Amino acid sequence: MSTDETKVRPLHPEGAPRNPGFAGITGEFDLTEAQIRGTEYVGRRPVDGGHASVAGTLPYQIADRNPDAPLFEGPYAERLEKILTRYPDRQAALLPALHMAQEIRGYLSPQSMDEVAARLELPPAYVRGVATFYTMYNLQPLGKYLIQVCTNISCNLCGADAVLDAFLEHTGNDMGEVSSDGRFTVIEAECLGACGFPTVVQINERFFENVGTQDVPSILEMLK
Amino acid sequence: MAYPYKHPSETLVLAKYFGDPEARTLAGWEARGGYRALRKALGSQRKEIIDEVKASGLRGRGGAGFPTGVKWSFMPMASGKQHYLLCNADESEPGTFKDRELMRWTPHALIEGCLIGAYAIQASHAYIYIRGEFFEPAQILARAIEEATAGGYLGKDLFGSGFDFEIILHRGSGAYICGEETSLMNSFEGLRATPRLKPPFPAQAGVYGLPTTINNVETLCAVPHILNNGAEWYRQWGTEKSPGTKIFCVSGHVQKPGNYEVPLGFNFREFIYDICGGPLPGRTIKAVIPGGSSVPILRGDELDIGMDYEAMAAAGTMLGCGSVIVMDDTTDIVKQVRRMVDFYAHESCGQCTPCREGTAWGAKILRRIEGGWGTEADLETLLEISDNMAGKTICVLSDACAAPITSSIEKFREDYLALIRRGESLARARTA
Ligand SMILES: Cc1cc2nc3c(=O)[nH]c(=O)nc-3n(C[C@H](O)[C@H](O)[C@H](O)COP(=O)(O)O)c2cc1C
Ligand code: SF4
Ligand code: FES
Repeated sequence: MSTDETKVRPLHPEGAPRNPGFAGITGEFDLTEAQIRGTEYVGRRPVDGGHASVAGTLPYQIADRNPDAPLFEGPYAERLEKILTRYPDRQAALLPALHMAQEIRGYLSPQSMDEVAARLELPPAYVRGVATFYTMYNLQPLGKYLIQVCTNISCNLCGADAVLDAFLEHTGNDMGEVSSDGRFTVIEAECLGACGFPTVVQINERFFENVGTQDVPSILEMLK
Repeated sequence: MAYPYKHPSETLVLAKYFGDPEARTLAGWEARGGYRALRKALGSQRKEIIDEVKASGLRGRGGAGFPTGVKWSFMPMASGKQHYLLCNADESEPGTFKDRELMRWTPHALIEGCLIGAYAIQASHAYIYIRGEFFEPAQILARAIEEATAGGYLGKDLFGSGFDFEIILHRGSGAYICGEETSLMNSFEGLRATPRLKPPFPAQAGVYGLPTTINNVETLCAVPHILNNGAEWYRQWGTEKSPGTKIFCVSGHVQKPGNYEVPLGFNFREFIYDICGGPLPGRTIKAVIPGGSSVPILRGDELDIGMDYEAMAAAGTMLGCGSVIVMDDTTDIVKQVRRMVDFYAHESCGQCTPCREGTAWGAKILRRIEGGWGTEADLETLLEISDNMAGKTICVLSDACAAPITSSIEKFREDYLALIRRGESLARARTA
């Protein structure tokens, strides 16, 4: 896979400031520059019983996931209980419960889905039906860093295909595969809702805006 | 300033505090006039609030442009049942990124809007359905909800009004179709996100069959301003039928992409060439999509229209959610249309045959044309498929997919024909 630099439109005209994105303003709400631009990208925040009003779970993927970790025990059980109190019935907690199972183990194995089904008193087949409907549930193990490159229209107009190619080339991956060192999985994403700042790339839970092919090596370098 | 660029011709109401981190905090928001409208609302009758919003002419910013006050008035007044307010923060229409900025910079505006809306429709719960990919806005909102709770704006018996209120964030899991309101309700209930047939409408039978109102983030953010300043004040901007200001998201081939807030009815050409800086040096604008990927495409010479619901409709397109996608003369229209149709094929929920089959076959045929293997008859097939998709399904995703196909064939037929002819001559050369 090669990258054709000529395909890339300059992101902004010469001299214009680059859109700073979120990293432009930090210091509020416990997000430091290091967390945003540095090595803290991936949620390593402690499991704190969940946020008071976030029904789902943050962060979404963990670096140190363990496919055999117990599901919904200890602090996770508390969190599930908390989630359940926020909904009129158990079924409504299905999406957040699946998010949490994925957070704990890194992906949704058939066993995890069955366990979610048991906890929420739902038929296992039903839970699988829901889990397979949504794109954020990963049914297979992924690399430590899931790199999602938006190639929808606004990003595409500004060279997203080349950025995707560059990620594939620099990680030595095929689309959707786990790289041989287990670090990266690169996939194509639909619009990520930040279209004015192309190309938008989501790496685990963080958005990177204004990514050009030239930025790819340094981004990968940051993801140790 | 709007974000990330600003322009003196903007009218900043909602986007005034974009880029101002102080506005994110409760204290900062209160200092900027926040939560005044809430106190006022709690001291008024519910009907007064609905009438004020009706009088302001505020229209839903989620795409359909339905008058918000009218929508609220559909909610039963004394049903004795639990009512729900769902805030639609699923923003996933390609080209749209305004709700994200609203939530990132002014989370308290949304909370206040939810509170007022919920009070007006007698809901004691609001769920904010935020798309799963928006971790950072979700975190900012979560923090703001915590602060608002600590500050006494959420909880039981607010300011002695007897009104209890709770806001709960619900993160989606990645599906465009969740933005459609009935599908959002299903997704919220823990089902697959498949749209429901209407009627019954959500105000009669929404989540769990209970009266429900669904409003977009931008719609709810505008409500406190209207209550604070009155309907007349809001009507100083915009047109008779499309009053007020709106945030437009500009992406694609312009010098300064970003969010800009202007009054509805603003001249579209001036907007693109002046406020957004126009095309890149040496380029010309070939096509513009004015309202997100789901609306018909305009040619670059069709821009002398107002940016309001009526003028856009008269020009054969839609304002949608105000997502302006600009394409210059280097754009391969067929490729971009194919990319959009790929998106709809990926996101179709699969309930309706015209949509499930039409989106997939549309994408395949477009791919064939793009690769140089198309024929002129393919264009007729595409039009026929689109005709079968529009207006024949449970939700309008199918219509949304047909819009770029039919409008691009109508306006850029030459682009399609050029690819087809080139492919044909290559084929002749191969067989010769
Ligand atoms: C396929 C489809 C996707 C939609 N996506 C969104 C969305 O992401 N955000 C949104 O606010 N409205 C979206 N809508 C519109 C909603 O159905 C609904 O009209 C809107 O949320 C109502 O709020 P409003 O009256 O404040 O505009 C979508 C509609 C359709 C048919
Ligand atoms: S039109 Fe498409 S997305 Fe909408 S309900 Fe039918 S199949 Fe699902
Ligand atoms: S098109 Fe890439 S983020 Fe919207």
